[in-house]
Amino acid sequence: MSKLFVVLLDDKRMNAIKGSGLEDKVEYMFGGNLKAFTMEMPDDKANLILSEFDTARIDTRSCITDTPLAFNRTLFEEIAKAKSLGPEVIDNTLARVAEIKDLAAKESDYLPAPEID
Amino acid sequence: MSLRMTAPPPHGGRLEERVVRDPGLAKKLAKGCPVYDIKPTLNEKGVPVRNVYREIMSICYGFFSPVEGSMKEAEVERILKERRLLNDWIFPYPLVFDISEEDYKQLGVTAGDRVLLRLKGKPFAILDVEEVWRIKDTEALAHRVFGTPEANPEVVQEPFNAKHPGWVIYKSLNPVVLAGKYTIINEPKFRAPFDRFWLPPLKSREEYKKRGWNTVINHQTRNVPHVGHEHLMKNAAYTGDIEPCHGIQVNAIIGVKRKGDYPDESILEGHEATNLGNYIKPERHLVSFTLWDMRYGNPLESMLHGIIRQNMGCTHHMFGRDHAAVGEYYDMFATQTLWDKGIPSFGFEKSVCDVEYGLKIRPQNMREFWYCPVCQEIAYSESCGHTKQKEKFSGSFIRGMVGEGIFPPRVIFRPEVYKAVVKWWKVFDFPFCNQNYVVQQDKNLEVDLPDLDV
Ligand SMILES: [Zn+2]
Repeated sequence: MSKLFVVLLDDKRMNAIKGSGLEDKVEYMFGGNLKAFTMEMPDDKANLILSEFDTARIDTRSCITDTPLAFNRTLFEEIAKAKSLGPEVIDNTLARVAEIKDLAAKESDYLPAPEID
Repeated sequence: MSLRMTAPPPHGGRLEERVVRDPGLAKKLAKGCPVYDIKPTLNEKGVPVRNVYREIMSICYGFFSPVEGSMKEAEVERILKERRLLNDWIFPYPLVFDISEEDYKQLGVTAGDRVLLRLKGKPFAILDVEEVWRIKDTEALAHRVFGTPEANPEVVQEPFNAKHPGWVIYKSLNPVVLAGKYTIINEPKFRAPFDRFWLPPLKSREEYKKRGWNTVINHQTRNVPHVGHEHLMKNAAYTGDIEPCHGIQVNAIIGVKRKGDYPDESILEGHEATNLGNYIKPERHLVSFTLWDMRYGNPLESMLHGIIRQNMGCTHHMFGRDHAAVGEYYDMFATQTLWDKGIPSFGFEKSVCDVEYGLKIRPQNMREFWYCPVCQEIAYSESCGHTKQKEKFSGSFIRGMVGEGIFPPRVIFRPEVYKAVVKWWKVFDFPFCNQNYVVQQDKNLEVDLPDLDV
């Protein structure tokens, strides 16, 4: 059984995919309050992710979670670039694993706080 | 029969408060005593996993009544066999003041002596030594504390190991135990924001009276509350006597953190934000904490939670699945089993509320809450039948959203609660506990101590 990966979308990310055709794939969760893509992760890709990132795990909903935030960000960049949610996006993301790990090493200690009112 | 409920008596019959507030008496008590500076318990890698000061605080302020100090060998043995103190009252864990052989040699004390314990270089408490004994094998002790699949087949699913933080605490103890009563002689002062939430049992009982609360349900936490937690609290509180519980108390366990936990400051202010935002109005909601380096003993931890909150005066305690659990060492329902039928291999043929010298606080065993798009509300898992459509509140999912800097929708995280998280995120440059937080916490603890010249 393949696993799932949830890509959360905020306004900035919604802007980045404008006109890509991916808008149709946006799912609305929690009564329309939360926007996201749910990607399917074939088992071989899921296992690759789990072995590359030791924090990553599968939660009770079969979702891969606790991946480095840099992974999540890169994955979204690749989605926006390819205008697709297909498995090639995962390959493109994993091709940047060294870069992700570099960023991930820093993010265990520092993350800039969001500016909110 | 009376249908009305009131605060249960303290566990053991009376509240311990072993705190000397008269500096003159304090000086007299500490005069000429050998001095020992409290050190954190370190794991094999030298990482702090416990600080015994938190136990001394919780014992002396009555959270752990009727425990009065560091336990004698016979008492530890009895706890490991039947989870009872020597005076018969039930209690889950051995609590000891442990030091190394080198420190013991240097200290040179024996039964009948008094030791002055210093914290952060200042006089803190005295320990009246009644017995000196040795832990022969800390690993064996750790296994006996939490249980094994062979000895506790009802609830233990797999052997405990170095991945379990509570097991590591017992495994890391020093070999020499100074057993005897503690007395605080120099009250530590909590730093902000902890000072606002410090409500030891004598004070909490007073506070409930002042608020006119006869029935109070406790919510155990080590988390910033999401809306699922909020609904758990509000709905569990519908139990009570002839009306829902008057008060909802949140009692956070504050102690050594693991990387990825929320900082203690965010947890306390996050819960407070729930009432400041009027999601549960402040008149009905009270946030407090207990100092304790969590052992993650699921059913055993729940027993300790029951003792703490009964001592605080709560009539009810909510317990979820996987209560205070980490990993899959225990059965998912082990806590609820302990409070429902008992766990014979831990010494309880019946519920811990039905055994002699047991507890008087009532469990409220709860399942879970999820968002249901069909009901269009946050629904209780045992009411809502839309199991295919349900959307669960997953802690790690929400942590991920927070970490990515996405402003969570208010149906998941109240904006006031999220703002409390961001406030401390700015202070620590990180929304969760990182290495830096853990190091600072170990150094600063939650308190400072006034000068006391002894
Ligand atoms: Zn429903």
